[in-house]
Amino acid sequence: MLCALAAIPILIAVAVRVSSAVPPGRGPAFLDRIAQNGLFVGVTALVVSVPLFLPLTVGVVAGDTIAGEAGQGTLRYLLVAPAGRVRLLIVKYAGTALFVVVAPLVVALTGAGIGAALFPVGPVTLLSGDTIGPGEAVVRLLLIAAYLAVSLLGLSAIGLFISTLTDVPVGAMAATVVLSVVAQVLDALPQLEWLHPWLFSHYWLDFGDLLRQPVSWDSFAVNALLQGGYIAVFGALAYGRFITKDVLS
Amino acid sequence: MTRKWLRWLPAVAVPAVIAAGALAGSLPARAGDPLPPRTPEQVLQLIAQHREPALSGTLEQSSELGLPELPKTGAGSDSSGTAWLELLTGPHTARVYRDGPDNARIQVLDRLAERNAVRHGNEVWFYNSKDNTASHLQLPAGTADHYGSGKDVTATPDQLAAMFLAKVDPSTDVSVGADVQVAGREAYNLVLTPRSDATLVSSIAVAVDGQTGLPLGVEVKARGQSEPAFRVAYTSLTLGAPDASVFTFSPPPGATVKEIQVPEHQEGKESANATPPAAKDSTHKPVVTGSGWESVAEFPAGTAGSTPDAAALLEQATVPVQGGRLLSTALVNVLVLDDGQVFVGSVPLERLQAAVLQK
Repeated sequence: MLCALAAIPILIAVAVRVSSAVPPGRGPAFLDRIAQNGLFVGVTALVVSVPLFLPLTVGVVAGDTIAGEAGQGTLRYLLVAPAGRVRLLIVKYAGTALFVVVAPLVVALTGAGIGAALFPVGPVTLLSGDTIGPGEAVVRLLLIAAYLAVSLLGLSAIGLFISTLTDVPVGAMAATVVLSVVAQVLDALPQLEWLHPWLFSHYWLDFGDLLRQPVSWDSFAVNALLQGGYIAVFGALAYGRFITKDVLS
Repeated sequence: MTRKWLRWLPAVAVPAVIAAGALAGSLPARAGDPLPPRTPEQVLQLIAQHREPALSGTLEQSSELGLPELPKTGAGSDSSGTAWLELLTGPHTARVYRDGPDNARIQVLDRLAERNAVRHGNEVWFYNSKDNTASHLQLPAGTADHYGSGKDVTATPDQLAAMFLAKVDPSTDVSVGADVQVAGREAYNLVLTPRSDATLVSSIAVAVDGQTGLPLGVEVKARGQSEPAFRVAYTSLTLGAPDASVFTFSPPPGATVKEIQVPEHQEGKESANATPPAAKDSTHKPVVTGSGWESVAEFPAGTAGSTPDAAALLEQATVPVQGGRLLSTALVNVLVLDDGQVFVGSVPLERLQAAVLQK
């Protein structure tokens, strides 16, 4: 799955490399900057993968946690060990969280790498029009990856909860992915403005705030708080469901 | 059975705690001492004596003008033709940095994009990250304070307040409402209410910082609308000079740089994309009839729809009425006659049509 994610920046970079110059203001954000600076491949790839690809992979990993073991019939044997259900749940969530941290990092770093290989690397223009050196740009790229990792933790907690509800892993995966799509659709409807700050996907694309000069940390903080809330609520629900669950298979 | 339900307890408790926390967080916190009561005249004086401050802050602007909200596609881009209209619909956030009269920077924070206006001394730069274009403007020495300090991108509360307060005349009732809190600071609430009934404006509230006299927020209410039609206010404010590097700007490599000639008269500046096409042409001088809040400005033929782009936009935004087409918003009505004459006023349609007949 990480390989599939890594393919996104490679595809973008190769496509831009073989095609003619991209006119500014068309296509996904930052696409026109790639030809001038390879480091933007990482940013563009993240912009492209945030709405679907990253939630998709996270949904698959998170949905598989408990339901996968139950579906294969191995959950019973895991619970025979004197580790306890809470500990199993925590370990499963930690595994998902590790994937959530690694996934955006892979996209960003592969993008920066392939971009550096195919395009010139130089000072990076920020959204504010100021320029920073390549070293600082890589730091910003890592910050964006961290932002997205935080952003996806809430979704993975939801996935963990759904995974405890069913014994069919595919169902849990699909439900998680569908939820992330539904949240983004709701986020696009202006009639539901009151709901927007509560949607876990609301701040996903606000990582652009890290590309401003000076850096705007507001969205990072508010996003971290929101995702923390989602982890707490769905973590508690998953705990409640899992320790009361009858494990038969 | 009860034991099983007992185990669900944390699952119920955590959401409850978070909901309670969210509720408590949304309640307005009262902080600081209440301000000494002042008369409207004293508050006006307080505003008048405030000097160009050094500050950095975040502005939040929202409009409910009754214009259709333009779709905001997540990571996509929109055409520059609708950019000025977009500033009038939906919410916007901007960061403002100022240090004295000739250092200013305004950053309009869009999703994955940013519009900048930087003034450093007599150099003015505009930058739009969406199409990577920069415009440069060299101000003649000794230009008026506010000129070119990014007014085209967005208006700060003190610029707006100055504009509204300059128009205070006997047709306006000035009063001081209950103190408000803006950006965590206690502020006087100066309320301007038109005495006339024949205007769309119901009231204008200016939040004036109790300590410095700096206008912190402006709220314009329209008749028959509970939500403010236009609102701009600081959400955070730090007094004191921002880092000097904020005001230095040089166009990034690869950007398209355009040099703007400073026009002779002030109205003619067309730099950022915030100027409506109808107002751009300053060679036509408007004729104003009526007084105070009921005044109607009349633009001669040929003002509207000069370009095909603007004509198409006009066609979409207006509705046909007797004698022409009407662009109706919560605060301003624009009547475009069939022969191209334009009547503008924050008055009901009937008043505009009466002004047409009076000619």
